[in-house]
Amino acid sequence: MTKPTITIKICCGTMCYIMGGAELHLLKEHLPAHIAPLVKIEGASCLGVCQDDNEDRPPCVMINDELIPNATIQKIITHITKQL
Amino acid sequence: MTYYNNAIFTKRELLVRILKLLKKDSLLEEIDRIPLEMRPRTKAPIRCCVHKDRAVIKYKIMALLGYNISDEEDELTPLREYAAEALLQEKITGNFLTVVDEACSSCVKVNYTVSNLCQGCEGRSCQVNCPKDAIQIINGKAFIDHQKCVNCGLCQKACPFHAIAYLPVPCEESCPVNAISKNEYGVEEIDFDKCIHCGKCMNSCPFGAINEKSQILHIYKQIQTKTPTIALVAPAVLGQFKAEAGKILNAISKLGFADVIEVAQGADITTQHETAEWKEKMEAGETFMTTSCCPAYTELTQKHIKGLIPHVSHTPSPMVFTADVAREKYPNAKLVFIGPCLAKRKEAFLNKSVDYVMTAEELGAFFAVEGIDVTQNEALASSAAITPEGRGFAASGGVTAAIESILPEGTNFKAFMVNGLSKKTIKLLKTFPIRPPKANFVEVMACEGGCISGPGIIAPSQMGQANLRKAIDELKEKAIV
Ligand code: FES
Repeated sequence: MTKPTITIKICCGTMCYIMGGAELHLLKEHLPAHIAPLVKIEGASCLGVCQDDNEDRPPCVMINDELIPNATIQKIITHITKQL
Repeated sequence: MTYYNNAIFTKRELLVRILKLLKKDSLLEEIDRIPLEMRPRTKAPIRCCVHKDRAVIKYKIMALLGYNISDEEDELTPLREYAAEALLQEKITGNFLTVVDEACSSCVKVNYTVSNLCQGCEGRSCQVNCPKDAIQIINGKAFIDHQKCVNCGLCQKACPFHAIAYLPVPCEESCPVNAISKNEYGVEEIDFDKCIHCGKCMNSCPFGAINEKSQILHIYKQIQTKTPTIALVAPAVLGQFKAEAGKILNAISKLGFADVIEVAQGADITTQHETAEWKEKMEAGETFMTTSCCPAYTELTQKHIKGLIPHVSHTPSPMVFTADVAREKYPNAKLVFIGPCLAKRKEAFLNKSVDYVMTAEELGAFFAVEGIDVTQNEALASSAAITPEGRGFAASGGVTAAIESILPEGTNFKAFMVNGLSKKTIKLLKTFPIRPPKANFVEVMACEGGCISGPGIIAPSQMGQANLRKAIDELKEKAIV
């Protein structure tokens, strides 16, 4: 069996959640079949992005150690595919 | 089903920003900065220019402060003045939607357009089949004369090259009662003699031009006062976060509410009364009875299907019964209903059962501003007296299931479900007074899927459904222990 090599942490902080993060929790159902076994999905508490006034907007996810702001399911999938 | 889009997030960001300023106690000083901060010069404008974008934001804020956009008398009046006035006194007119005319892109008047796929063929079946002589051929290509076109769509069907496209007007298309249409300036306008506050237009407009008038300002202020404020939480709210019911209820109480009461408690009372009423009606020889808990549906019967009114149950909604419970316990308190519904605003306005209505979306904004993470929270013990069926009201089929659960076995109870109001289901409902349905009980939900898919939700409805089922199972487990 292939081991998950990519860990995705979905920010479950409230700001991310209301700004589209809720939708990200459906990620599992959208992952293409060949990628799904390689991905481990976890929740995380506020990643801090929502608190500072920079260009990065919620919702956020961490793909391994990389922070992805403005995340959408499609954006996450593209990132994962790149890392494989 | 509403897809997530940026117009929805703009609204949520505005809610957060307004609440943040309230919390900082600098609403009046800073509110006029919001449009500038959200639409800075450095970013590519969404509309024609940054100034238009800012104007749109300004008007959306007006709606969130509780104003009709048409209340504006002077374009130069700053938001500060509106906010100051709103803080002093709440303006409620009974209509809870308002169109931001600056934002309305005035979508097409004529729904059909000839694309550049037009080959200018010899057949010209578009022209030949148009009953209104609305198609001209200019430079070998077809054109639709907007003065003559009646949107029949025959040209589109006739074109062998699929060169004619259909362009919808999303708000008009989504409105099940034709309450929204263009005024003389080509801007959409809501006819409140027809509107049933289902909220479908609001979420369908890709420009976010249709806005609900919020009470967040007043709710925030109310919570700060010495008078206790009680939250009445609709069961659909329990499906909105990735946390168990007890945690969500606790998070709500942390916002400063003196007590948090589940509306499912009132739903249980509704079930008792509605069942008794149904039995009585059947014994009296009536053919069928419909539910009454969905306020958009009752408004529909009053404005569009008067013949159904005698069939609508007289039993008050769960919100009303829960409000009674709360008033008895806290006679001097102010009550805030929290749910996913726009039409509840109207219901509360009419029956005065509660003082304020807030959506789940607005609740999310409150949490975000107060830094409350629903998942990292202790769970409040929920009232053991509530039945799983009471919480089940939030999903289509829930009322039916609740009534069935207390009817003795073998009762001749035949239910029919209208799961979502659309032009089609309304047509069907219109036939019921003349040709009664085969069922003797009709459950009507304006939103497809039930309240859990309401216009003011945060969680995508499939997730909301799953979360709600979990919350219901929790109760069942407790009952077994
Ligand atoms: S809530 Fe996600 S970064 Fe703060």
